[in-house]
Amino acid sequence: MSTFLNISAGPHIRDRWSTRFIMCMVLLALTPAAVVGVAVNGWHSLFIILVSIASAIGTEAAFDLLIKSKKDTFLDGSAAVTGMLLALSLSPETPLYAPLIGSMFAICVVKCCFGGLGKNFINPALAGRCFLLISFGNAMTVFPMDHMSTATPVANLLAGKAVNVTSMFLGTSNGVIGSSIAALLVGGLLLWAFDIIHGQICFSVLGGFTLFIGLFGGQGFDPAYLAANLCGGGVVMGAFFMATDYVTSPVSRLGQFIYGMLIGVLGGLFRVFGSSADSFSYSIIIGNLFTPLIDTYILPKPFAYSKKDIALQKGEVQKPLSERIPKPVVVLVIITLLAGLALSGVFELTKDTIAQQKEKKAWEAYRTVVPEADKFDSVEADDIYGQIYGTKFGRTKINEAVKGYAADGSVAGYAISVTSSEGYDGDIGLSVGISADGVVNSISFTELHETPGKGMLAADALFKDQFNNRSESSFNIGKEIEVISGATITTKAIVNAVNAALDFYYNVIKGV
Amino acid sequence: MMNKYVERLYNGLIKENPTLVLMLGMCPTLAVSTRAVNGIGMGLSTTAVLILSNLVISLLRKSIPDEVRLPSYIVIVASLVTVTELLMEAYVPTVYEALGIYIPLIVVNCIILGRAEAYANKNTPLLSVMDGLGMGLGFTIALTLAGLVREVLGNGTAFGLQVLPKGVEPMGIFVQPPGAFLVIALFIIIMNAIGIKTRQKQLVEGCDGCCAACASAATCTSKTEEAAK
Amino acid sequence: MNNSLILIVVSGALINNVVLNQFLGICSFLGVSKQMKASASLGCAVIFVMTIASAVASILYDLILEPFGLQFMKTIVFILVIAALVQIVEMYLKKNSPAVYKSLGIFLPLITTNCAVLGVALTNVQSEYNFIESVLAGFGTAVGFTIAIVLLASIRSRIREQDLPAPLRGAPIVLISAALMSIAFMGFSGLSF
Repeated sequence: MSTFLNISAGPHIRDRWSTRFIMCMVLLALTPAAVVGVAVNGWHSLFIILVSIASAIGTEAAFDLLIKSKKDTFLDGSAAVTGMLLALSLSPETPLYAPLIGSMFAICVVKCCFGGLGKNFINPALAGRCFLLISFGNAMTVFPMDHMSTATPVANLLAGKAVNVTSMFLGTSNGVIGSSIAALLVGGLLLWAFDIIHGQICFSVLGGFTLFIGLFGGQGFDPAYLAANLCGGGVVMGAFFMATDYVTSPVSRLGQFIYGMLIGVLGGLFRVFGSSADSFSYSIIIGNLFTPLIDTYILPKPFAYSKKDIALQKGEVQKPLSERIPKPVVVLVIITLLAGLALSGVFELTKDTIAQQKEKKAWEAYRTVVPEADKFDSVEADDIYGQIYGTKFGRTKINEAVKGYAADGSVAGYAISVTSSEGYDGDIGLSVGISADGVVNSISFTELHETPGKGMLAADALFKDQFNNRSESSFNIGKEIEVISGATITTKAIVNAVNAALDFYYNVIKGV
Repeated sequence: MMNKYVERLYNGLIKENPTLVLMLGMCPTLAVSTRAVNGIGMGLSTTAVLILSNLVISLLRKSIPDEVRLPSYIVIVASLVTVTELLMEAYVPTVYEALGIYIPLIVVNCIILGRAEAYANKNTPLLSVMDGLGMGLGFTIALTLAGLVREVLGNGTAFGLQVLPKGVEPMGIFVQPPGAFLVIALFIIIMNAIGIKTRQKQLVEGCDGCCAACASAATCTSKTEEAAK
Repeated sequence: MNNSLILIVVSGALINNVVLNQFLGICSFLGVSKQMKASASLGCAVIFVMTIASAVASILYDLILEPFGLQFMKTIVFILVIAALVQIVEMYLKKNSPAVYKSLGIFLPLITTNCAVLGVALTNVQSEYNFIESVLAGFGTAVGFTIAIVLLASIRSRIREQDLPAPLRGAPIVLISAALMSIAFMGFSGLSF
């Protein structure tokens, strides 16, 4: 016996199950679904399956040859599994170039380019399917029944029509080749029983999906509706055979649960709010994208180790997540976000109310200044409203003018709403009431934010009533109107506004 | 021994092709290369702006104080781009529509600011113009090539003319975003395989200290800190 | 009200992802994703700058450029706003939070030439968004950028150069990864609330 110790790289205790064995088991598990699919849909489906598998194996062999690889990986059965999975997710009428090219993409780009088995980060079969969906959109979405083009059950579901769940369960309705739920379950549960796939994944996928559909699907947790959704669109196939792929799913149990829920919820989201029936494939590959992230932050517990042991072993203390991202930046971002959300929330909440309030105020002002009027009608002058009016009145705008009718139908007068932007502390809004014979009834403020004790005195009767029952067509400070002491700017703005209203009355309404 | 002006052309077109060798300006390359003719449109507009900006910056190179280098470049380039945009909107509206938002984005096209920093502010106007022309044409050719490949594979046409036989389905993915990434990856794989040296590693690794070809050389604080030491 | 606002955020982040769909911000997306920590930091910085830049740009456009007929100045004005904003953020961080400033390092000034920030400001104008919508669009877009760059960083941390065939090492494998991410994200298209 050699005195040298035999050293090799770990792991040293190997499971009796090799890659090839596992792959064969998966192929076996898929066979029932394949058989049912071919039986229901005809020979073309068999050709699709064969082409897909052959293309997958061939591509891997060719790639191995091209890069002069030392291992003949194309014999380990994983390419065959990819080919089979892709074929089963295609429509029975798909032209043969689709599985050919799809398998080539799946094996070459998704798997081999990254280094082969175990190195891909996205499920090859599904990535291949999505590649085909995007490339050959039309050819991929024809699902005939008895060779006549019909909508799939899922499409019907989305449109709110009735579906035959039993038929979907057995696989006799139109759909992809591997759409027999019964057959898929036989295989899937077999794999689960043999612990080849992880229950955490497939059941959290199904659970997340059911939860979302139940909450947001619009029909509550109605069993028939849920069953119909579960039996269509590749959910069962995806849950048992695609999401559970070792390479592209997380390593830890918690990670697997999160991953499964993510896929399920996304699947539900796309089913309820999306526009295509093929969306479950995308849910799974999006879930795949998150696997490396999940694996980085949710580490599996090595046997007999506690978290502290792991950290000590590594010779470094793993900084908690909260320290790895610079905290101040995060705080800054959160504050910005909260402020923005709060602002926008308040804005939206109050937007309508504020607008309503403004309108209410305007109408109340109209009633005040034309008391005999019962109802008002708008005066047509759209090209003037909202624009700066004239040149002699500063930044004053006519907002609106209304004609008031008394109870007996006669004209009671006019009310003109004006706003001057030249107030001391902002806009000044007021309504001028003019009686039928051209006499100013009174004015009423709709907006006044001036200095208390000075400009605000404009609202007092002492100032305001100076405009009552005046027949002048225009007012001047110092002559007809007494300035408010200490508030010249405010007075000027108000007088300009009133004059603008009067000018509007005489030139536009009266046409003089 | 090449005439130094012609050398600039050769440099921009081949030796230091901004897209295929320097790996600059990836954003517009990926976005616009859905049709060969888009490549020509975008490439030529960028060339025009590049020549003018190189010229102006080179003429002003002794007058622009160092501290305001970047803002000045930006204002100059932004003005030139706006002018180009207005002219295009007026005289070639279909091309303008097709290129859409990517015309104003010429402002932040790494090639323009990169060349301004790396070449125009250190060389004479005529040389800078030739550099701009070379780089711009190099960009145009690369962009058109990418556009051509994507158009043939994804649409079955080349410059609008049907190339694939009627019965063959083109692979739509190539005129979609994933296809852009795949085609550029393919170009780089080919260049790697036949041994052409490019800055492809730096493209995916951030700053490598080589400021001459760096897109963000003008804004790079690490460089100025190094110089200060 | 709510649905269309939610849609603006989701659209910016996922349906029309700024990097994987609109190809804006590719340079930093490809270069910074080599390191996870840098990617996360850059993402946060981009969220901050882009949201505020969208807000400021929207205000400037609605209150100054449009009323005075100066729409054609938008490119210049926006890029100057962005440059100024980044400068302000940089100065503020340098003075008040040197640790953060150091960890962001070169990435902060990089945001100025990040076509994504200018791109989203211009898109907001083109879509005629009001102020709230612009802010949400900017925020959503930046979140999308962060998601994309963090995911790519985590994927890249898994790839070992020695497993790859030689011509694929370096940029090609990263671009192929981005292509696969882009395929996955196309699943979000057609989503509506």
